[in-house]
Amino acid sequence: MFKNKLTFKLLFFLVLTDFLETFIHLCFKKSTLLEEGVVITNSSELFVFLQNVFSSPFLLIGLVLVVGTFILWSSLLSRVDLSVAVPICSFSYILIPLASIIFLHEKVSLFRWGGVLFILLGVVLVSLSTSEKGRALE
Amino acid sequence: MREKLVFILFLIALTSICDTINQLFLKSAINSLIPPRGNVRAVLRFIIKLIAVPRVWLSFLFSLISLCIWLFVLSQVDLSFAFSADSMHYIFIALASRFILKERVSLKRWMGIALIVVGIALVSLS
Repeated sequence: MFKNKLTFKLLFFLVLTDFLETFIHLCFKKSTLLEEGVVITNSSELFVFLQNVFSSPFLLIGLVLVVGTFILWSSLLSRVDLSVAVPICSFSYILIPLASIIFLHEKVSLFRWGGVLFILLGVVLVSLSTSEKGRALE
Repeated sequence: MREKLVFILFLIALTSICDTINQLFLKSAINSLIPPRGNVRAVLRFIIKLIAVPRVWLSFLFSLISLCIWLFVLSQVDLSFAFSADSMHYIFIALASRFILKERVSLKRWMGIALIVVGIALVSLS
C-alpha cells in the first residue's frame, strides 16, 4: 500500500497525539486524586469509588480526548507506517514522567529514568521490526 | 510495601491483558471491513460502520473494564510509575500475536520485548 512520506504536517499531528496522550493520563490521574490510597474490600466500595471517579469533570475531559485521539490516530495510520508512527508516539513515555513532575509534583528518580530509557528503546525496537515484515510481504 | 507493589503490578498486567483482548477483537472486526482511505471523513464513516459489528462492543466492554482497573491503579500509585509499567501490554500483544493469531514474531521484536521487561523491572525497583 502506498504511504506518503513523513511531512512536517504529519509529524506535527503525531507529536500532537503524544501531547494529547499525556494530557489524557494527567486528567485520569487528576480524577483519582480525591480517592488517593482508597482501600476497596467489597463490591459496594468499588461502586462508590467508580461513582466518585466517573463523576469527576477531569475524567469526562479525558474520555472525550480519548475518542478524539483515537480518530486522529486512525486517520494518521492510513498515511504513515506503524514503524514510523509508534516510535514518534512513544515519546509520551518521556512526556508523562515530565508532566508528572511538573503538574503532579511526583518524584522521578534517576533509576526510574533509566527504566524509561529501556522501555523506550524496547518500544522502538518492537515497532521498527514492523517495517521488515511489511517489506517481506511486498 | 512489597506485597502492594506486586498487587499493583498484577492489576496493571490485568489492564494490559484486557487491552490486548480489546485489541484482538478490534483487529478482527476491522479485518472484516474494507479499510478507509485518506481523510478524516472517510475514517469517521469507517468508524460508524465498525460500530455495527458486534465484536466491537465486546472490545468496548474490555476497554471499560481496563479503564476501571486503571483508575484504581492511578488512585494508588504515581502516574509516572503506572504509565511506564503499562508498557507491558507490548509483551502481551506479542504473545497473543504469536500464539493466538499465529503471527511470526521476529528476533528483533523479542529483543525489544526483553528491553521493555528490563525497563519495567528498573522502574518498579525504584
